[in-house]
Amino acid sequence: MTSTTAYVLYLVSALGAASLYFLLPRAGPSKMAIGAALGVSAFVGLFGILGTQDSVERSDEIFFHLFGIAAILAAARVITHPKPVYSAIYFVVVVIAVAALLVLQNAEFLAVALVLIYAGAILVTYLFVIMLAQQPGSPIYDRRSREPFLAVVVGFILMALIAGRAGELPTRAAEKTVLADGERIPASTASLLPSNTMAIGAAVTTQYVVALELAGVLLLVSMVGAIALSRKRITSDVVRSPRRALGQIGKEVDPF
Amino acid sequence: MPSAMGYVIVGAVLFALGLIGFLVRRNLIVIFLSTEVMFQGIVLNAAAFARFHHHLEGQAYALFLLVIAAVEAGLALGLVMLLYRRKDTLDADAWSFMRG
Repeated sequence: MTSTTAYVLYLVSALGAASLYFLLPRAGPSKMAIGAALGVSAFVGLFGILGTQDSVERSDEIFFHLFGIAAILAAARVITHPKPVYSAIYFVVVVIAVAALLVLQNAEFLAVALVLIYAGAILVTYLFVIMLAQQPGSPIYDRRSREPFLAVVVGFILMALIAGRAGELPTRAAEKTVLADGERIPASTASLLPSNTMAIGAAVTTQYVVALELAGVLLLVSMVGAIALSRKRITSDVVRSPRRALGQIGKEVDPF
Repeated sequence: MPSAMGYVIVGAVLFALGLIGFLVRRNLIVIFLSTEVMFQGIVLNAAAFARFHHHLEGQAYALFLLVIAAVEAGLALGLVMLLYRRKDTLDADAWSFMRG
């Protein structure tokens, strides 16, 4: 990785940021076409660089590019789509693409858990809330962004910093390195286990057993909290007009 | 041997997109969806480094991240419903008086 590559990555980040700025919901005429064009050029730049660098295994490369592009595209749509239901559906695409990328990294258990927990549980909860709290039509707060320029600049700086540093990562150590740290499960032990699921199970129930217990307690506390929150009786601040019978609606007009 | 660069960059892009969505959107539900996008980026990063170091620490870390994400989603959505019933809107700006 030369410094030229880092600068190209900065340029790609800037292109992506500009694209996102045009794609975000805004007042006035839509500028989706400009945003899409900028976005395509950012994609070509980013995955062009990743193709030339030794960034992933050659055998994984095509799948990495496919699912990487899918994940980023869908994530961009999650934050730019004016309708929350569609945002949630695009988020499912993000989850599935990320799960595929995890499979490419030999994290099969994590990939399945991700799809089960996110697409199966969390997303259903989100969809429930979206349906419960849906406003008629498209409300103004979904069609306007708050400070899009500043937010995009912040995102661009973060992205450029990480991408610029990511190129300086050393290449991977050789397979089956035994770590010097005796307390940890050495890689050789992990690779002796027949599958990734068994290896993770062994690690979680031996080395991280305290964290596992804590996670259980945390889930319990959050369940109690969620039930307490949703049982609370809330009086609305908004004064509703008294209900009228069906035939009466629209008959009376206030004098002006 | 390849480095973890590709996955780290995709994870960084996901995180940055989630951050931008968190800052920009005004709908409370989409704000919390953006935090979930950020979680995806972090999970990808953790798994990438787990493979990079041939060590399961990253994957175990990602597993606990999933627990945190589930906890966060449950509490956040309970809170969103509470706020919605109070003001009849999902607009985050309706609560801007809490800025102090």
